[in-house]
Amino acid sequence: MKFRLLLVFLLSLVVIVGCNPTNTDVSTGGENEPENESGNDTETESGSESNESSEPEEDVTLTLWHIEDGPSGEAIEAAVDRFEEKNPGVTVEVSQQENDPYKSKLVVAMGGGNPPDVFSSWGGGWLEQFVNAGQVKEITNDIDQDIYVEAALSASTYGEKVYGAPIGMAVVPVFYNKEIFADLGIEEPETFDDLTAIVETLKENDIIPFTLANQSKWTGSFYLMYLAERMGGPDLFSEAYNRTGRGFDDEAYIEAGHKLQELVEMEAFPEGVNGMNYDTGQSRQLLYSGKAGMQVMGNWLVNNVRDEMPEFEEKLGFFLFPAIEGGQGAKNHIVGGVSPVFSVSESSEHQDLATELVKELASLETSTQMANTAGDISAIKGVEYEDPYVQEISDVLESSEAMQTYYDQTLPPELAQVHLDTTQALIGLSMTPEEAMAKVEEKAKELLD
Amino acid sequence: MGEASTQKHISIKVQTKAAKKRKEILAIIGFMTPALIIYGVYVIYSIFMTFYYSLFDWSGIDNNFVFQGLENYITLFQDEVFWESLGNNSLLVGASLLTQLPLGLIMALLLFSPIKGIRFFRSVFFMPFLMSTVAIGILFIFIYDGNFGLLNALLEMIGLESLQQAWIGKESTAIWAVIATVCWQFAPFYMILFRAAIVGIPEELYEAASIDGATAWHRFKNITLPLLMPIIVTSAILSIIGSLKYFDLIYVMTMGGPNNSTELMATYMYKQTFTNFNMGYGSSVSFSMFIIAFIITLFILIGERKRRGVE
Amino acid sequence: MIKRIKQMPLYVLAIVLLLFTGLPFFIMVNTSFKSQLNFMTSPWSLPESFSFSNYGLLLEIDFFRYFMNSLIVSVLSVIIVIVIGAMASYPLARLKFKLNTPLFLLFMVGMMIPIHTTLIPIYLLTINLGLYDTIWALIGPYVAFALPIAVVIFTQFMKEIPKELEESAKIDGCGHIRLFWNILFPLLTPAVATVAIYNFIHIWNEFIFALVLTNSSDVATLPLGLREFYGEFTINVPAIMAALTLGSLPLLLVYFVAQEKIVKGLAAGSVKG
Repeated sequence: MKFRLLLVFLLSLVVIVGCNPTNTDVSTGGENEPENESGNDTETESGSESNESSEPEEDVTLTLWHIEDGPSGEAIEAAVDRFEEKNPGVTVEVSQQENDPYKSKLVVAMGGGNPPDVFSSWGGGWLEQFVNAGQVKEITNDIDQDIYVEAALSASTYGEKVYGAPIGMAVVPVFYNKEIFADLGIEEPETFDDLTAIVETLKENDIIPFTLANQSKWTGSFYLMYLAERMGGPDLFSEAYNRTGRGFDDEAYIEAGHKLQELVEMEAFPEGVNGMNYDTGQSRQLLYSGKAGMQVMGNWLVNNVRDEMPEFEEKLGFFLFPAIEGGQGAKNHIVGGVSPVFSVSESSEHQDLATELVKELASLETSTQMANTAGDISAIKGVEYEDPYVQEISDVLESSEAMQTYYDQTLPPELAQVHLDTTQALIGLSMTPEEAMAKVEEKAKELLD
Repeated sequence: MGEASTQKHISIKVQTKAAKKRKEILAIIGFMTPALIIYGVYVIYSIFMTFYYSLFDWSGIDNNFVFQGLENYITLFQDEVFWESLGNNSLLVGASLLTQLPLGLIMALLLFSPIKGIRFFRSVFFMPFLMSTVAIGILFIFIYDGNFGLLNALLEMIGLESLQQAWIGKESTAIWAVIATVCWQFAPFYMILFRAAIVGIPEELYEAASIDGATAWHRFKNITLPLLMPIIVTSAILSIIGSLKYFDLIYVMTMGGPNNSTELMATYMYKQTFTNFNMGYGSSVSFSMFIIAFIITLFILIGERKRRGVE
Repeated sequence: MIKRIKQMPLYVLAIVLLLFTGLPFFIMVNTSFKSQLNFMTSPWSLPESFSFSNYGLLLEIDFFRYFMNSLIVSVLSVIIVIVIGAMASYPLARLKFKLNTPLFLLFMVGMMIPIHTTLIPIYLLTINLGLYDTIWALIGPYVAFALPIAVVIFTQFMKEIPKELEESAKIDGCGHIRLFWNILFPLLTPAVATVAIYNFIHIWNEFIFALVLTNSSDVATLPLGLREFYGEFTINVPAIMAALTLGSLPLLLVYFVAQEKIVKGLAAGSVKG
């Protein structure tokens, strides 16, 4: 008898358990309606009625998720304030997260059918995943495309359709310690041979030529991107990515891999690069203390310096990654990227308001504030830079003939991961360039063909 | 229900026996229901859903569920990185069993020895387990650093410069460096677990033994260890399961690198799920981890039952 | 004198273990008093000048609200886990019925599932239960996922309690409830302390559920709040160490109290014996 009772009990448990998966199916399986329903519960209890008309008669709450911290975060808050002022009755709930947790949080929210109305990204392959999943609203005709720098807007444009509006950009020069260069009588290099000569000179003087924290992986990717561009020219990557010519296993890529490994063998990088983390500052530690001479890094390095060791800024100089003799690339072809990009969720109940919010975020005012307080280059035309350093970087960007966006942000995430992993293995000398590039090409075939 | 005890009370009428049984059933249900409800709603449901997702090709962010049966599992079997991470998990399991449990036991026994300032020792011994994983991760990244790391500095102090290296920067040493950190972090948990068990051993047993003139080692071997056996088995199970699904420190310290050399099943699952947008495949990794842990646990429990049977 | 010499190896061992276990904690505290620059240039030295400025930074991030949220969530979860976990263990350890072993295994399997792939179902469940972005959104999963280890440890310890105690209580006419609460539960003190410490620490430091199941800073727990020290490309290490040092104090306190309780339980037990 006790057995039967327990059975009944367990069965009821199964019913409890069994019910929920069906619920799940309803809310993820059904198209938009159930999603909106669950959105109602938590976001906007009062605003749900004002669905049809974009002019809100009642209070509306929009949610905004982003990753900007410090001064850039303040610029976002300022834009939100302006938006709230222009739209009385609308409140914006802002949630700021750090990079990696942000990605997980957004994936779960999208998967659970309850995404924020407006969210930030880097454009490229990551945003494309959400676009392909039908989670992002197209805003091609809602925004004024002419105000944005073309290269920046292209990061969130997929087949002529625009899914996000950019605010800032970054470029990647080679930073160096001017004091060390002056002491050793080193000139900024014009060619790759010059650069290897500098590496030799620094080695002879017991200075680590390049500091690099490659546990983070995207840091090492800069070197490969530059070497590949300098070998194969500005079209190499787009041909491989769009599958219109050379592939990721092209001779130029393999040669770039060899050049990278030559640098490793010359001991151009610190001991144990693959275990060092950029965020914790291990690579910058070497730069600040004068133990290392150069670092290939995005222009945000200057912000790091200003935070961590302001007196180092006067020693900090930069040059562009030199061309390789016989290669098809040129010194003024630069690697760079776009961040942040703001997009509207397809399942947002207040798409029009959310689009307005995006326009306010990706406006000249926001990007001017970001440029002048956070040192970002503007993705919106017409910003007047107060900071001479940002002006200088911005000039570099304007005078460049081609911009290569970061592979890891442009490629689909899964392929990006293979690129990052194989590049790390190249730097660890545990893979030959041929093997590494074949692996990337194999994944590219699987995902892109 | 205990047959022996019921037989003892033959005089008690059959009716009361039935009443007693009904009472017992009520007790079982009453005592277990709260736990089973909350456990069923969250945990059993999650396990079920993990298996359910693992049958689909699903990115995790759309409504496009493509049913494909066990195909994810077939892919998994051919996935080199998964096998590599399973290998790393096995190393972690082995190392955990061989270091965490003995170290925990030694520390627990030490807390019963007549040394002065035992409260102080007791508190400090426990500190690794008390520190947040984020703190441990960040500190050990610096400790293992090849250029200015503490470990290398210590090696230099004792004249072992030849061993100096970038501990988590090299594929050959990275996994060991990480495993050592994990073991360091968890040993104190077993210390308190064993301590709690040793506390429960009746003092008289030791008193009788010391009258017999048994040495400390004999007392340990003949009294403490046998009585601790059940808790050691439980600890072993906890340690194995914990090591099989370990995630935190790897995520902070190496993210599975360099070149997958510290990849564990859980970090691989995380990457597949959240970086590569393969929720379906990630779930199949999760569920495989679950099955592996389940089988091992079952074996241990059966083995333990046999051992008890022999005794 | 001879006794002292005999104890020498014990002291050596204890001090070696002391350094081994205590050094990182010391480094954490030490780092928390340094400036970022001081840490960058010489990570292992003592602070150039003791500064509490990192602790001052904590005031800027609403540290105490996060701290209180964490405290409420952790304390409530741990109490619930201990009560319902110990209750569930009673039939498993002391009563013999057919579903004994299967139910024990059922509780055990909860330890084996990695939580990351359960995030979406639990997120959905939380929204459907109307708990999203409240502290109850966290307490549910925390209790549920802490139950297995509690049940396993409690069952183990309860099995070791001599049967005679129970028999005599039964003769006295004790019901199951009184037997459990008045006789068995007090004897479980060492196990309760262990389970409480273990789960308190885990819940106190838990990050991923908190990240996904809450959104507003009103209900954010400490591990979430600490993320404010993470920049897009940089971590302010000394500031984080300050926060983590302060954040670990309650754990130290819980541990200390729990351990004292074990000692007291021990004393009480021996009087009885």
